[in-house]
Amino acid sequence: MADTSTARNRIAWIVLAVLVLGAVAFSLWPRPGADSVAGRTRSLAREFRCVDCEGLSVADSQTASARAARVEIRRRLEAGESEAEVRAYFVDLYGESVLLKPEGTGIGLVVWALPVVAVILAGAGIVVAVRRGRRTPRLRATDEDEALVARALGAEHGTDDRADDGDER
Amino acid sequence: MESAIGVLAIAIGAGASIVGIASLLLGLRRSDDRLLATGRRCVLAVLLASILAVGVMEWALITHDFSIRYVAENNARSTPLLFTVTGLWAALEGSILLWVLILAVYIALTVRHFRDRASEPLVVWATIVMLGVSLFFFLLVLGPANPFELTPGGAPVDGRGPNPLLQNHPLMAFHPPMLYLGYVGFTVPFAFAMASLITGSVGEGWLADTRRTTLVAWGFLSLGIVLGAWWSYEVLGWGGYWAWDPVENASLLPWLTATAFIHSVMVQERRAMLRVWNLSLVIATFCLTILGTFLTRSGVVNSVHAFSQSSIGGWLLAFLALSAGSGLALIAWRGDRLRAPGRIDSALSREAFFLGNNLLFVAFAFVVLLGTVFPLIAEAVQGTQLSVGEPYFDRMTVPLGLALLFLMAVAPVLPWRAASGEVLRRRLLVPAWIGGALFVATLVFLARSLPTALAFGLGAFTISAIVQETWRTVRARSRADAVGRGRAAWRTLASNPRRYGGLTVHIGVVCIAVAIAASNTFATKAEIRLRRDASVTVDGYRFTYEGSRTTRSAQKTTVSADVRIERGDRDLGTYAPSVSTFPNSNQAIGTPSVRTGLTTDVYLTLVSSPNARGRITLGVSVFPLVVWIWIGGALIGLGTAVALVPARTRRVLPESTPAPVEEPV
Repeated sequence: MADTSTARNRIAWIVLAVLVLGAVAFSLWPRPGADSVAGRTRSLAREFRCVDCEGLSVADSQTASARAARVEIRRRLEAGESEAEVRAYFVDLYGESVLLKPEGTGIGLVVWALPVVAVILAGAGIVVAVRRGRRTPRLRATDEDEALVARALGAEHGTDDRADDGDER
Repeated sequence: MESAIGVLAIAIGAGASIVGIASLLLGLRRSDDRLLATGRRCVLAVLLASILAVGVMEWALITHDFSIRYVAENNARSTPLLFTVTGLWAALEGSILLWVLILAVYIALTVRHFRDRASEPLVVWATIVMLGVSLFFFLLVLGPANPFELTPGGAPVDGRGPNPLLQNHPLMAFHPPMLYLGYVGFTVPFAFAMASLITGSVGEGWLADTRRTTLVAWGFLSLGIVLGAWWSYEVLGWGGYWAWDPVENASLLPWLTATAFIHSVMVQERRAMLRVWNLSLVIATFCLTILGTFLTRSGVVNSVHAFSQSSIGGWLLAFLALSAGSGLALIAWRGDRLRAPGRIDSALSREAFFLGNNLLFVAFAFVVLLGTVFPLIAEAVQGTQLSVGEPYFDRMTVPLGLALLFLMAVAPVLPWRAASGEVLRRRLLVPAWIGGALFVATLVFLARSLPTALAFGLGAFTISAIVQETWRTVRARSRADAVGRGRAAWRTLASNPRRYGGLTVHIGVVCIAVAIAASNTFATKAEIRLRRDASVTVDGYRFTYEGSRTTRSAQKTTVSADVRIERGDRDLGTYAPSVSTFPNSNQAIGTPSVRTGLTTDVYLTLVSSPNARGRITLGVSVFPLVVWIWIGGALIGLGTAVALVPARTRRVLPESTPAPVEEPV
């Protein structure tokens, strides 16, 4: 009885995993036909800083220069330029600070790589610390402790089920 | 006259801080209770002095006393009363004054709370540290950020009035004070952390002592951030609520480390582990509030929210260095006492998941900090001008946020120490299926966007896990106590408000995550030009331009366009996006008009007023689920309040330091 329910549980998890992975594969499958120019314009416009307002992208700002920039992006994409070429055009015009997403070269690499490296190192550090903590037992029960536990167990029999209870009362 | 009283009040406050620190130090050394009592009375003096200073400033604002420069610059005779009162936090000097007042209130409440333990070294030292912080802020308003400075050349006939953006929406009355209540509140846990290091009582005592204050500060900061997003959405009119602007980042940074702390603190209470880590988080949180103030007030980074700049940058930087340096030095000095007696038994345990949570939150904070200061670093190192904006933050933080959502789904179900994989598989099956189904459905039917589908799926996973887990507990309680479900639910909540308050906060966070994902993925934005009585349909909504009005007041001149919104044959009402011009600014300020709905917001902006031929240009956006961000914020506030309620039945475990543990053999 317990075995069949365990097996059923396992099957349910496997089916779920297959479904989720299938959906992921479906979403990553290349779609027929490229994105629309409007969609590409919008996503590219988000990458450029509006040059005459603080902190907003060309996509979000309504100033005249942002408007002109959106038109320019669209025109260039329609003329068949690639995203990289449009980016290069804006960088030539306004300097590298027009990109809200620094390029992953030169000093810009730092802002991308540093957090990733730090997370990997910290994660590894935690794993190592936990492993080491587990290898070296810090507590050793003395005879006195054992006697105490035996007495306590004798007095009160197995009422503590807290370890299995998600509720932290 | 008022200026003199104000400066005097500040000077008294600074003096009382110094006398308080000195008499507490002496009282501690000589074990002299009378000196300690004098020190405590100084706290009262600090409070009264700051109330007086703020009162004088408000009086000066309300009576339009333009002989004070701050009033002349942030108030005008035409400023409405509400924005006259909020003028206190419309610029740097007044904001620091508000900071001083809130800090004094926190110190006074803390000292009052601990009046029965007033001669305990931990409490005395904490008071000394808090008075030290207040001394610093008093010196700021006495020196570089003096709000009572006189107007050079005498009082003008009229003042300049607050920045147009700051006199445009009533949220201005709530958002900044909430933020400050959060920011400043972290001074208390910081002071107790420092005190525990100084006195060497580095056990769990200081955690229990400051748990509530930390939660209060955290709750206010959360509300402040959400209200800030709301303000941005309702006032700035670009259609968003979060732009990864330096000022927004500055408020998010301490929130992230404080959230990490609120979680990891439970590990220390329960297992006596992570002592150094928790002390570091508290000290980091305090330092980040100072760093945030430095970044946004010193003018080193540009921001839409930074409404003033001054020379206090150097002061803040020095204070930041002092706080961080002394914190680190104290931790190093007490290193031997901080060794943790506990250990992690299993990766499938709540404490292990809390560690994961902490790693992610700190990584999140690191990304936000790095992105915010990186342009400065790049310019200092290479002299190159770089920008770091939304695309960077989105790319880096979305994976972290999704991983946090996953932990949020699983961790509350996990027991301490170790779980059996078997039990976990059983408990999580139904929630995982609900989440998985929504994930698959989103990808197949709604959008081929993995992050969005993950946010929806993990959100559903989290909420159903919480509901199932709570239901299980209530049912068990109902059986054990032989009472009805309703009463059992009440008893479950009352027995552990901290847990259920926390879970309520989690549900609020899920609401916000789902709303952010939905409003980013499924938004429609368009610009339409309309003649009078003409209409255009966007995304199923019909917009009809019904005419425009111009209203003039001394405060501003507003042009608004009446636009009727219809969906199908349902009339959703007339909305009036507007553009205002203020006499003190040559920039026109647009005010959006938002039709808020439970599923969809329709967001209108007036891009250009009627031209010669009577045509207007409207910005029209349709955002799904945005209102759930504000609902989520309210849930976070509610959950925090619930978590502050003391449990009805006392915990079985004592809250004091666990029994000393033998050194490793």
